[in-house]
Amino acid sequence: MPARSYTDVSDQQVVVFAQEGREDAYRELITRYERPVFSLIFRMVRDKETAEDLSQETFIKVLNNIDRYRPEFKFSSWLFKIANNITIDHLRRRQVDTISIEGSPNAITAESARATAITVTSGGESPLEELESREIGAEIEKAIAKLRPEYRACIILRHVEDYSYDEIAEIVKLPLGTVKTYIHRARQELRQYLGDLR
Amino acid sequence: MIEHDFDEEFVPIAAELQRLPYLSPSRDFADRVIARIDRLQPAQVVPVSASRHLELHQGGHQAVARRRPVGLIRATGRATVGVALIAAAAFMFFEIDVLTAILSAAVAQYAFTIAAVGTQIGALVLGTETIAYLQAGAAQAALLYLVLAAGLITGYAGIRTAAQIAKRKAA
Repeated sequence: MPARSYTDVSDQQVVVFAQEGREDAYRELITRYERPVFSLIFRMVRDKETAEDLSQETFIKVLNNIDRYRPEFKFSSWLFKIANNITIDHLRRRQVDTISIEGSPNAITAESARATAITVTSGGESPLEELESREIGAEIEKAIAKLRPEYRACIILRHVEDYSYDEIAEIVKLPLGTVKTYIHRARQELRQYLGDLR
Repeated sequence: MIEHDFDEEFVPIAAELQRLPYLSPSRDFADRVIARIDRLQPAQVVPVSASRHLELHQGGHQAVARRRPVGLIRATGRATVGVALIAAAAFMFFEIDVLTAILSAAVAQYAFTIAAVGTQIGALVLGTETIAYLQAGAAQAALLYLVLAAGLITGYAGIRTAAQIAKRKAA
């Protein structure tokens, strides 16, 4: 089956192609969401290897059950829902809270720290802007790392992925009121941690 | 002004949150995922020991060798019974003499051996290519001969029955 271009094809349509067993459609879905999913999971678990394993588990679970996808929901919401479930389950099993973006806390040598460091996609700024942005970004990352995992998921989905409260409630399987409370508290905590940014 | 549901103090933080870059997994991430998608993997090969037919296709000589003596004895027994029945029928209905019956039985019993020896001799005399050509049409030829033989036997039986009926009427 020849590979086709999915440039202007919606997620729902790509899913239909995937349901027909087209490998290129599976790859397209991975290409579209590997970075958002990996970013969300990494910001929750703060460990690159773990984030990679959990992201892989998420995609395998979603794509192996692609026939169960209900098109009335956004594909990305379904994907994030499974990513969140898998990550929360992992965090319940093992509490991992602190890490630097420079590498895994489990890294013993400088080499292993480099190996586990994160590749950050540049936004095309000038070197000074990029450095500044990276410094602020690192501060934000540290502040997010201090939040409770439930708050992290909600604040990232709201402010990074731009989901509505209703969608977040559906993704994290919590009542709408709880989601609003979590986001409100997360904002307060972030404000405390990032006083200089104000 | 951008619409938002938080106080002004959080605006710069929200802006920074939106600027947070996406992080990338390793380069072979997609390949590793694809390798574990069940429906994209080729069908699992059935273990050789699980299928005798597969064993035969893959040259499972041991399995064939084990079964051969039983098969040979069974085939010989069936051939003998078959020949005996044909001979009995021939005696009863066509009054064929004993010598002819024995010769027929022998030919039937050793037909495969005779055919194999004949093929070897034929290969020596005519060449293997000619024999292969002849063997290619052997099945059709055998069917033709069987039809002809059945026709002859039926015709002969019909004539004999008619003659006997005529004899009885004359008597």
